[in-house]
Amino acid sequence: MNTISIPLLIVIPLGTAFLIPLIARKKRFIADILGSAATLALLVLSILLFRYQGVYSIGGWEPPIGISWVQDGFSNLMLVIVSLISFCATLFSVQYMERYTSKHKYYSLFLLMVTGMNGVILTGDMFNLFVFLEIAAVASYALVAFGGEHEELEASFKYLVLGSVGSSFILLGIALLYGMTGYLNMAAIANNLPDSNTMLLMLATVFFIVGFGIKAALVPFHAWLPDAHPSAPAPISAMLSGVLIKALGIYALTRILFNVIGVSKLYGGVLITLGTLSMVIGVFLAVGQWDFKRLLAYHSISQMGYVVLGLGIGGYILASDGNIHAGTLAILGGLFHLTNHSVFKSLLFLCSGSIEYSTGTRELKEMGGLGTRMPVTRATCTIASLSIAGVPPFNGFWSKLLIVIAAIQGGYHWLAVITILVSFVTLISFLKVLRYTFLGELPEFLKQIKESPKSMLAPLIILAILCMGMGLLLIPGIKEVILDPASAVLIKGAQYAQDALVLH
Amino acid sequence: MNANILLIPVMLPLAGGILCLLIPKKVRWFREGLSILIAALSTITAFFIFFREIPGLHYNFLEFEKFNLHLDMVISPMSAFILLFITGFVFLVSIYSLSYFSHDNNPKEYPAFLLFALGGSCGVVTADHFLLFLIFWEIVTVSLYFLISTGGKDATKGATKTFAMLGGADGCLLLGIGLCWFMTESFTISQLNIPINGWMPVIAFLLMMTGAIAKAGAMPFHTWIPDASDSAPPPVMAVLPASIDKLLGIFLLVRISTSIFIITPSLGLVLMIIGAVTIIWAVMVAMVQHDLRRLLSYHAISQVGYMFLGIGTMNPIGLAGALFHMLNNSIYKNCLFLSCGAIKKRTGTTNLADLGGLAKVMPLTFTACLVSSLAISGVPPFNGFASKWLIYQGILDTGLKGSYIFLIAAMFGSALTLASFLKVIYSVFLGSKTRQAEKVKKEVPPAMAVPMLILALLCLLFGVWYALPLDNMINPAIGTSVVVGGSWNSTMASLLMAVGIILGLSIYLVGRLRKSARFVGSFIGGEKLDSETGRINGTHFYLTIKEMPFLRILYDFQEKGFFDPYNWLGKLGADITRVLRKIHNGMLSWYLSWSLAGIVILLGILFFT
Repeated sequence: MNTISIPLLIVIPLGTAFLIPLIARKKRFIADILGSAATLALLVLSILLFRYQGVYSIGGWEPPIGISWVQDGFSNLMLVIVSLISFCATLFSVQYMERYTSKHKYYSLFLLMVTGMNGVILTGDMFNLFVFLEIAAVASYALVAFGGEHEELEASFKYLVLGSVGSSFILLGIALLYGMTGYLNMAAIANNLPDSNTMLLMLATVFFIVGFGIKAALVPFHAWLPDAHPSAPAPISAMLSGVLIKALGIYALTRILFNVIGVSKLYGGVLITLGTLSMVIGVFLAVGQWDFKRLLAYHSISQMGYVVLGLGIGGYILASDGNIHAGTLAILGGLFHLTNHSVFKSLLFLCSGSIEYSTGTRELKEMGGLGTRMPVTRATCTIASLSIAGVPPFNGFWSKLLIVIAAIQGGYHWLAVITILVSFVTLISFLKVLRYTFLGELPEFLKQIKESPKSMLAPLIILAILCMGMGLLLIPGIKEVILDPASAVLIKGAQYAQDALVLH
Repeated sequence: MNANILLIPVMLPLAGGILCLLIPKKVRWFREGLSILIAALSTITAFFIFFREIPGLHYNFLEFEKFNLHLDMVISPMSAFILLFITGFVFLVSIYSLSYFSHDNNPKEYPAFLLFALGGSCGVVTADHFLLFLIFWEIVTVSLYFLISTGGKDATKGATKTFAMLGGADGCLLLGIGLCWFMTESFTISQLNIPINGWMPVIAFLLMMTGAIAKAGAMPFHTWIPDASDSAPPPVMAVLPASIDKLLGIFLLVRISTSIFIITPSLGLVLMIIGAVTIIWAVMVAMVQHDLRRLLSYHAISQVGYMFLGIGTMNPIGLAGALFHMLNNSIYKNCLFLSCGAIKKRTGTTNLADLGGLAKVMPLTFTACLVSSLAISGVPPFNGFASKWLIYQGILDTGLKGSYIFLIAAMFGSALTLASFLKVIYSVFLGSKTRQAEKVKKEVPPAMAVPMLILALLCLLFGVWYALPLDNMINPAIGTSVVVGGSWNSTMASLLMAVGIILGLSIYLVGRLRKSARFVGSFIGGEKLDSETGRINGTHFYLTIKEMPFLRILYDFQEKGFFDPYNWLGKLGADITRVLRKIHNGMLSWYLSWSLAGIVILLGILFFT
């Protein structure tokens, strides 16, 4: 594998996105095959490229002037997550999207969104980041409205407005950095930023935090998410909650804060505050919901809070030269939780899709006793629920454990208390889900329902197995290969600039 | 002996459980055969472990950034005998379940999660690493949730409540473990010995105690047990909440109060107060229950109070009493719930008002139930008496000024227990038959009767030869030798009680033999009286207690769920959610203004610090 493979990660989805409407307008199955084949190719490619680190310059134009795409430990991890979830989502879409018209448009938008995310993850250039960010965001606005009903359009509009506000702030932030340094290349910006924290730099940071905070749906910038995520078709909800908010929000924010601007105690504190707020407010909003997907959407806010809290604690400790072990553990926990969350949350959304496919409803109160009719969905949904609630030995437990232990090691006992409290409310919330969907009595109008078709169950099973087995990522030998390179990128911070210039 | 033998009772059931879940639902014999086989193998292994010296097991598993998770397992005298009983109980109950679950109602999850619970519990008692301990502990909780769910469509509420309360308590336990790490930088349980000074050890102790209280089911975290018992299959109640959960909860409590922390007398007093309140209040609630399962579950709570009382005394006799009582309680409580299952299997109900006169058709169940009822009431020569006796002595030995209050509470609780079980025995087995009971034609099959009788026999055995468990299990566990005796002589008391019983019997017999009393049928104007109307209903026995001036208020509160933290927290959570939902009104302008407020606050913070 060499540098030339990097652009394939963008070219494959982008090319297929334009190919599908051209050749698959009349024949749905061609769209299905092309869509799944593209995401499968991405998955294989991202796994093959996993150990690879390098820089690709577009058109041979050297950085810092030309645009470069950088592959390091952090982006490798994100690429695999994105590809994995998109593959599961496309597989699920084959049957699920049969009810909708113009499947080719769906796949086209889907792959554009994947292009945007891969681009955001790979790029080493600020403006290029903005372009890819907008590609993914605009595609997702359209996908949220894909059903075309009143509810979907309203949700999409809210998402569009708030999303644009976020994008504008990001653009303003980029402009400020460009004005200060004269570069758009991230590594070059990092090398040329003023040492002291000037007013302008702070303003730019605030803009980034707000902009990416909106994309990542951190409280108080979260209000679009509970409308947008449930309105989209289930596989899209899985993509939005599973990877989009992470790639566009958390990944981009941490990349800029840790690697370009450099994390300080103040920014660490801000991240801790935002994370805690999101965790607590998100979970209390979630527990009162009766719409299955809306409940899941609020949990995404809460779980993103965990990730940001972990990264924030890590950043704060590293910036204050405190207990380095605790800082490393916190960042590792945050990234691990990000990985885990994408798996179990997309699984949950796909399960909600499977239930909706069979029963035609998302209202928890209208369901009941589905466990007898839909055993596979029940088993996978139960596994995912236990994972998100942090029950051992499922994956969510391990990452939450790392965050709790790191918080205690760092001396933040109150944060540990809040983390466990939120985990407890999450448990209650998912016990409620399990109780009202799968247990209890089957209502009369659902007596005829059947389990979803096999092609929809396959991604559920794949993700459920991952939920059970991902605790193994912490095992010595595996951890060094998968998680450590990613956390090392954040811990080393400013080292990124040197690497990105040297690797090239 | 190889240390790896410790892995057998943990890993074998866990693997078997996974296998049970994977094979298709139709192959019932395989599932059940597998669960019995694995339980039997684990029991045999537990016997080996009990009689041999087994070195500890240590595998390095995870270690990074001062975080570690090792597969550390050690066997102590205390864990050895608890392991023996856990495996034995699961073995007996899995035999019992062969006949309990009918052909068309045999949930696939039952044998699988029974095995998971077995593996988890064995892991809890052998683990020497706190995180490993927590994982196994949680496996037991999750298994209990699924086992209760097998009770069918009505079981969902109880199962949810159980998992919610135990899950919350497990969270407290995790926090306690975290604080212990902060103080010692170690997760190895056997290395910990934290003196209680300052607020942090106290909080850590209280947090871990919460975990133990919820698992064992003492007040105030006891409310999941009655709700779970409402619709869970009785064998599930018998094996987990009634016996294994007690063993595990008390195991943890003993460890945190004797070896992990060096507790102060004031914390001991806290434990004793929890114990005394639990004994009295739970038994008073139990007395007025109309449902056998619910009644038994309140007794299960009440009995935990004795163990807390014993541990709280902080002296060897009290501790030995608590451990012995834990053992005895798990035996007779298991037996009681199994007989409750037998009654449900034959009559289809556990409502006391619908039962009656079953003693003739179900003699074996009657025997088992009678023996265990006497044992739980602390009547000699059954095992409950011996352990309660030790606890009384422990209370006296504390030398506390008010220790008599605890003694009175314990003895009064014991008397009320007896009263409550008089009601049970009478309403289920004695008197004339009700319509429901008329349908019963035969005793339960041997697969159900034998486990009950074995447990009843153990009740008698441990009561008569109390020295046997005391010398071989309890004394090694606490490291001193305690004998039943001391200031109050138990033999003397037993003799007095025996004399009392013989005296009563002889008065009765003398009366009958001399025919001084005349027996005639009831005369109601020549009408024929059917058995149902002539029957005195056992459920009315203690209703007057409910009407007593002060108690009426308490019972009123109890029925409204006033003593249930689950309700309180639920209401609190619902209120928070309501407020938050109110501000999420769906207006875009409103949402935009939040973002704006967020920006302003962020700018403010960043520029003014």
